[in-house]
Amino acid sequence: MTDRHDGSSIDLEKELVRYMVEHRISRRYLLERIALVGGAAALAPIIAACTSSGGSASAAPSSAAPSVAASVAPPSASPSPTAQPSPEGALNILNWTDYLADDVIKSFEDQFSVKVTQSFFSTTDEMYQKIGEDGGDYDISFPISVDVPNMVERGVIAKLDKSMLPNIVNLGQEWANPGYDPGNTYTVPYMWWTTGVGYDPKRIKEEPTSSKALWDARWKQHISMLDDWQEVFGLTLIQQGHSANSTNTAEMDQALALLEQQKPLVRTYSTDTIGTMTSGDVWIGHIWGADRFAIQETIPDFAYYIPEEGGVKGSDTVATFTGSPHPVAAQLFINHLLDAHNSAANTNLIYYMGPNAAAKEFIDPAILSDPTINPDQEIVDKLEELLRLDQSVRDEYLSRWQQLRG
Amino acid sequence: MGAAVQPAEASAASTPVADAPGRIARLRAAALVLPGVGWLVLFFIVPLLLIFVVSLGSRDALDRITLANPSLDNYAKAFDPVFIPTFLNSIRFATITTILSLAIGYPIAYWISRYGGRHKVLLIILVMLPFWTSYLIRTYSWIILLRDNGVVNSLLQAFGLTSEPIILMNTDLSVILGMTYGFLPFAILPLFVSIDRLDPNLIAAGRDLYASGRDAFLHVTLPLTMPGIVAAALLTFIPALGDFVTPDLLGGPGTTTIAKNIQELFLAGRDWPYGAALGFVLMIVTLTGTLVALRTLRREVAGGD
Repeated sequence: MTDRHDGSSIDLEKELVRYMVEHRISRRYLLERIALVGGAAALAPIIAACTSSGGSASAAPSSAAPSVAASVAPPSASPSPTAQPSPEGALNILNWTDYLADDVIKSFEDQFSVKVTQSFFSTTDEMYQKIGEDGGDYDISFPISVDVPNMVERGVIAKLDKSMLPNIVNLGQEWANPGYDPGNTYTVPYMWWTTGVGYDPKRIKEEPTSSKALWDARWKQHISMLDDWQEVFGLTLIQQGHSANSTNTAEMDQALALLEQQKPLVRTYSTDTIGTMTSGDVWIGHIWGADRFAIQETIPDFAYYIPEEGGVKGSDTVATFTGSPHPVAAQLFINHLLDAHNSAANTNLIYYMGPNAAAKEFIDPAILSDPTINPDQEIVDKLEELLRLDQSVRDEYLSRWQQLRG
Repeated sequence: MGAAVQPAEASAASTPVADAPGRIARLRAAALVLPGVGWLVLFFIVPLLLIFVVSLGSRDALDRITLANPSLDNYAKAFDPVFIPTFLNSIRFATITTILSLAIGYPIAYWISRYGGRHKVLLIILVMLPFWTSYLIRTYSWIILLRDNGVVNSLLQAFGLTSEPIILMNTDLSVILGMTYGFLPFAILPLFVSIDRLDPNLIAAGRDLYASGRDAFLHVTLPLTMPGIVAAALLTFIPALGDFVTPDLLGGPGTTTIAKNIQELFLAGRDWPYGAALGFVLMIVTLTGTLVALRTLRREVAGGD
């Protein structure tokens, strides 16, 4: 009930603006909103405590905190690892629009006689509210990887039953041990994307390859950076040869110094790159890779590249929840998504590469030959996923970010 | 709610039965006030208390709010010098917006009141008309006007006044234009009310005593409409100080406001208690500033008489 207040309503309106500019993809834009989940969930006991009696106020949150992992376990008890557990008759998916190919759902329904119901959301905030603390009525959804550790610790995401996921062998080598979920214990990667540099070739006549182009004084007042501290520091740190997830304050200071140099050249720090690019204000900018499709509707030859120094990648995962009403069907469905044909069908629909190595031969050649969607292994090796950093590290970054923006 | 009813009952107990009509009137007044008080308590006092309570807490490892060790640490952090530039930005934008809104709004309100005739109501409705559209969409239309390939730049180039687009978006100018546009109706309405209530005979009397039109305005109209000016200034300045959307949408690298910092602490920083503390400090500063300004103004107005 008190879930949406303060900034969130404004951000929702911002979302509306985004629809006005004809977009459909980038949800990295919404990442920052996820913060609300932890906070909103935590606010409930406080309100309860405030309205009933003062004494329990401190007890509720503190007792909940450390014991989450242990105490939430009971309902999660994953389906018994019998050879062939029969699925329940239904499966509820909470999904982005256009994020799953119809054929993939239909083939699952036919094969297992399960009625699949899809519900949709348009912001990650909305997804996390619907999932709540145990998944609500949903069996499957697609949390962003950076949020997975928190959701696992809170006991929201259920452990996977690997015995029911034979197709997991299809995953590419680089996805065997992702930083956010070592060993894919709780989640399976679904799709991944990059953050890089986009530019209008009518304005930028050469073909830049480095993120240093964003520091080029020739484009002064026509350069944009994302309004997202982790992305901006990530790009800068990688350019300086450091990790995008650096925890070294000296490296952060170096990055800040470089960003301070850039600031006079910057037109705006904004996540609405579709708006700023199509308005002619920005010629070259730090953008979420998927946003280029929307920009290309206005600027057909709009170009995008992953900086040669390396870049930031992000990914969505597939997860099932501790309160999932149909746990067996959920595991079967995750296995279904890991099938090479199905993974390829989804990639062909949404133009994101999946982590599925076996799927490559079934993917549309046009997608495979696009180095910005399917970069060479040499570049893939240089991509770094943003991790969920420790509080103290995040605070170090945020205070530098606010210093830069002030 | 209870607080509003109690005084009426308490006084009823002490007054003789003969005073029944007065008692009923008082109860009726209390009943009329109830929705307003209830509204304030529910949507102002309770959230304010909630923010205060949260601001005393801290985050657990999973970024949830915990009140296990309540302290004032967040308030100590809230006076971080990193917030000075953004706070000054907020003050600057709010001040300029208020001055412009009064300068533009007063003549409009005056004109509507004096020369609006039977169209007064229609004209006031026109002033409020923009409220029928979302503030965000209206702000966004400023982008369409001001961007490099926007309406203004296209016109300038079409008339051969400029060859290249001039940068209007993401500047102080765009923020001030957007904010003044957005807050102007808040200034016009109270100004109109106070100007419209002014008895024209008073101005006529001034003129009869050989005041020039200018003198009559300065010594009669302006002082008598001062309450409207103060109300308009407050109604513009306070929300402008906390404005986050306009600088965020229309601004550039140098236009970050304190409200944006607070939003970042909540969302990007996932530190609700710290954000709550900074928000609370800002609220206290605004409230204190307003009270001081009001008192000074009242004294000046009183002294002027």
